[in-house]
Amino acid sequence: MKDKADVLQGTLALMVLKTLDVLGPLHGYGIARRIEQISGDLLAVNQGTLYPVLLKLEQEGSIASEWGTSENNRKARFYRLTRGGRKQLQAETQGWQQTAAIIGRFFAVKAEDLK
Amino acid sequence: MRPLRRFRRRLSSWTTRAQDEERLRAEIEEHLALQAAESIRAGLLPAEARRQALLKFGGVEATKEDYRDQRGLPLLETLMQDTRHALRRLRLAPAFTTATVLTLALGIGATTSIFTLVHAVLLKSLPVARPGELYRLGREARCCYMGGYSQDKEFSLVSYDLYKHLRDNTKGFSELAAFQAFQPLFGVRRAGSPEAAQSCPGEYVSGNYFVMFGISAYAGRALAANDDRPGAPPVAVMSYRLWRERYGSDPSVMGSVFNIDNKPFTVVGVTPPGFFGDSLRGNPPDLFLPLNTGPFVEVDADLNKLDTHWLELIGRIRAGAKPASMEADMRVELKQWLRSHWGEMSANDRAAFPDQTLFLTPGGAGITAMREQYEHWLRILMMVSGFVLLIVCANVANLMLVRGMERRRQTSLSMALGAPASRLVRQPLIESLLLSLFGGAAGLGIAFAGTRLILRFAFPSPPGFAGVPIAASPSMPVPAFAFVTSLVTGIAFGIAPAWMATRVAPIEALRGASRSTARAGSLPRKALVVFQAALSLTLLSASGLLTAALQRLERQDLGFEQDRRTIATISPRFAGYRTDQLSPLYRRIHDSMAALPGVSSVALCLYSPLSGGGWGTGIWVDGHPAPGPRDDHFAAWNRVTAGYFDVIGTPIFKGRGISEQDTASSRKVAVISETFARKFFPNEDPIGKHFGLTADTARQFEVVGVAKDARYLTGTFGERILPLLFLPEAQAEYAHSNQGSLFLRDVVILTRPGASLSAAAVRQAMASVDPNMPIVTIRGLREQVATQFAQQRLIARLTSLFGLLSLVLASIGLYGVTAYNAGRRVNEIGVRMALGANRGDVVRLVLRGALALVLFGLLTGLPLTFAVGRFLGNQLYGMSPYNPAVTLGAVVALGLSALVASFVPAFRASSISPVDALRTE
Repeated sequence: MKDKADVLQGTLALMVLKTLDVLGPLHGYGIARRIEQISGDLLAVNQGTLYPVLLKLEQEGSIASEWGTSENNRKARFYRLTRGGRKQLQAETQGWQQTAAIIGRFFAVKAEDLK
Repeated sequence: MRPLRRFRRRLSSWTTRAQDEERLRAEIEEHLALQAAESIRAGLLPAEARRQALLKFGGVEATKEDYRDQRGLPLLETLMQDTRHALRRLRLAPAFTTATVLTLALGIGATTSIFTLVHAVLLKSLPVARPGELYRLGREARCCYMGGYSQDKEFSLVSYDLYKHLRDNTKGFSELAAFQAFQPLFGVRRAGSPEAAQSCPGEYVSGNYFVMFGISAYAGRALAANDDRPGAPPVAVMSYRLWRERYGSDPSVMGSVFNIDNKPFTVVGVTPPGFFGDSLRGNPPDLFLPLNTGPFVEVDADLNKLDTHWLELIGRIRAGAKPASMEADMRVELKQWLRSHWGEMSANDRAAFPDQTLFLTPGGAGITAMREQYEHWLRILMMVSGFVLLIVCANVANLMLVRGMERRRQTSLSMALGAPASRLVRQPLIESLLLSLFGGAAGLGIAFAGTRLILRFAFPSPPGFAGVPIAASPSMPVPAFAFVTSLVTGIAFGIAPAWMATRVAPIEALRGASRSTARAGSLPRKALVVFQAALSLTLLSASGLLTAALQRLERQDLGFEQDRRTIATISPRFAGYRTDQLSPLYRRIHDSMAALPGVSSVALCLYSPLSGGGWGTGIWVDGHPAPGPRDDHFAAWNRVTAGYFDVIGTPIFKGRGISEQDTASSRKVAVISETFARKFFPNEDPIGKHFGLTADTARQFEVVGVAKDARYLTGTFGERILPLLFLPEAQAEYAHSNQGSLFLRDVVILTRPGASLSAAAVRQAMASVDPNMPIVTIRGLREQVATQFAQQRLIARLTSLFGLLSLVLASIGLYGVTAYNAGRRVNEIGVRMALGANRGDVVRLVLRGALALVLFGLLTGLPLTFAVGRFLGNQLYGMSPYNPAVTLGAVVALGLSALVASFVPAFRASSISPVDALRTE
């Protein structure tokens, strides 16, 4: 159970970084919406889980945040990618692609191929 | 890198906590608002939109909780929360807190002050460079002279010649230094100053002594190898203490001439402040003189006597040298040296030759005579203070348990609300730790004061002397010890209450408090009381044993009278007397003292009883076979002037004492003690028999009298009195020998009944004989004897103090438990009284419970007291550790105070009105 949550959190962090990379500075709700749009179910319930992830990323220095004004003229916290975050994103993207490629190949292999 | 950065942020986050909390709240609010706005745009009603938004967000509080966990370091934060909470709780109960902290401070303070001594005496190295490289000759400290060419068990003292042989042939030492085992007093006077010489402890050391220790001078220069050769100009190094206290840190001391025993020495340097020589002892040396100046100071110096062994050795080994192989080399060198003196060796020496060996032991602590002397009693004190600490722990644990009981409802409520057990355990534990840390801090203060007091009593030193170089202010290991002790203590007394906390059932919260039937907690509390009673019985009987032993010591028949006797200690050597001038000098001193008003009679002796002095010799009896190498033919001897036995008050049983009729020209006589007579003249009348002090002079002395046994030697209280012999001063061989024993040290003055003698009068009388003659000390013989028991008295008093403390603590503990239990039984008592029980029945009921505990404690304590009695062993000076009177006394003392402690709550319980008791339900 815990392992699954960890994986989820790790993936979620990567999604946040990618989202900020693509869309630029965004508030929490925006990020949640974006991830929801792309990943579908993952964040459909429990948008709240996003906030601890944002905090962790900020503590690690991958993202930074500041107060700004949202589209409905309310005070909102905007997150943006830092240089460190961009580097981390690149590294992790590469890692993910590699992993995905390897796993992909594993799934592609059929029993008779190994004979 | 990233985790590290994160950890730092988390660590610092507690400063921004309120801000962060607000930020999260705002963010969530904003999030929900945006979500709701979108739903409203999609056509939902605002209320429904808000509900949907909340649903989608998930648990707001759970998110916050999660967020907080991520934000800071939850463990640290809750720990701080608990600490703050505990502090608040302690502040709310000032009486409890003060009492507990004080109790703990007493326990920790007592243990710490004893540890200060243990550390200084048993654990610490000398304050010299790299003490780990130092090795010394010998396993046991020996004092102070050994003669001949064989030594029992091990060769640990060496002559100058043997030192040079070992130094020049052992390769592993970078420096091997020698110094005197005995520390003489020197008369010191700055040249040209009008003051009389003052006595200072000093020692002869080899030229490389300071180099070997890696000590450089604080001012001027230290001794060098060049200073220690025959014919070198006589120089000396002075201790920092002497320099500062007597000469006001005067820089002109360096290069000045000082008369040491009336011989001119140039002081070339001052040792650094912390340096106290080669061993921890009561009178650290104030003067360091090169070995080779010995013959310059005294005609009869030991320096060039081949078979007088008077030097201790400490060496610094080279890097990589193996002490074990060096030891083997040195054993060979010893045998070589002995063999080269085969011609001078006695038959007994030759017989003992194959057994001669030596040992090299770690010497970083120097010569550890003091360690050997004090080890046992420091252990006793450490054990006693440990017991007190245990009792303190038990007492505080008891108090904590009561607090835990009071908190039961709160605890069960917390549990019902889902508080984790770990948190519930932690709370009382933190409270205990805080209490014990406060107690430890206060205890350090007590330890500081206590150590000073103990040092004063334990190592008394005459005014003007340095005293034992142990600082009362705790050095680094001592606070560390106190801290660790506090922690361990806190855990020890906190663990039970903490454990109790987890055993609370949540259901209890729902019950009414007075309805609570659970007796949980009463068993551990009872066990603690039993434990306390047992320990306190042990301490009481230990203190009883030590006190009884002390009384036995003080009341023993010493064989001489103490009242009306004053001892003036002099040192003719200081004033530069030659031996041929001594006899007339003694006569003048005698006459001048005897002329003082109130003085009845005067005699001089080499050393008075229990003065710390002592001379020993072998005895050869005329007409008896010569003693073999393993035969004990030892006797202590003394040189006294005419009339000595009357002055000191030792009865003569047979024959006569030393009198005026014994002169240089009359036959050589001796007076012997009863034990001497029994040992050397068994079953014969010793009067008229002859004996001698060497193998070829067995007819040297004729026995003219037998005196009552008297105790002269110190440090042998547990043993039988040694055989003694007395020689007349008038028959000393002033012409032939130039021995130290010719310098009589003590003047014994007997005053008339009712008369008093002032020290000033004695000094004046001495000054009229010779203004340069210093008096080292003047004190009553009773006082001189009493100082011999100072250690013993200190242990007895401290143990009694600790015993009393433990008795009080145990009584408080018993009182607490009895009162608490009686309080819980108010209902029951009410019912009983309503049914016709009278007050006596109630008192008996409560008392029975309490006294059963004490009885149990006594039963557990008894075997422990016997074990402790055995451990005390030789501190009892021959008294049996199984002393029924003492044990009975301890039992009665404990029983009585237990009765008082439990009677008060019992009486109070019996005065409850049954109506009130039932109403409280």
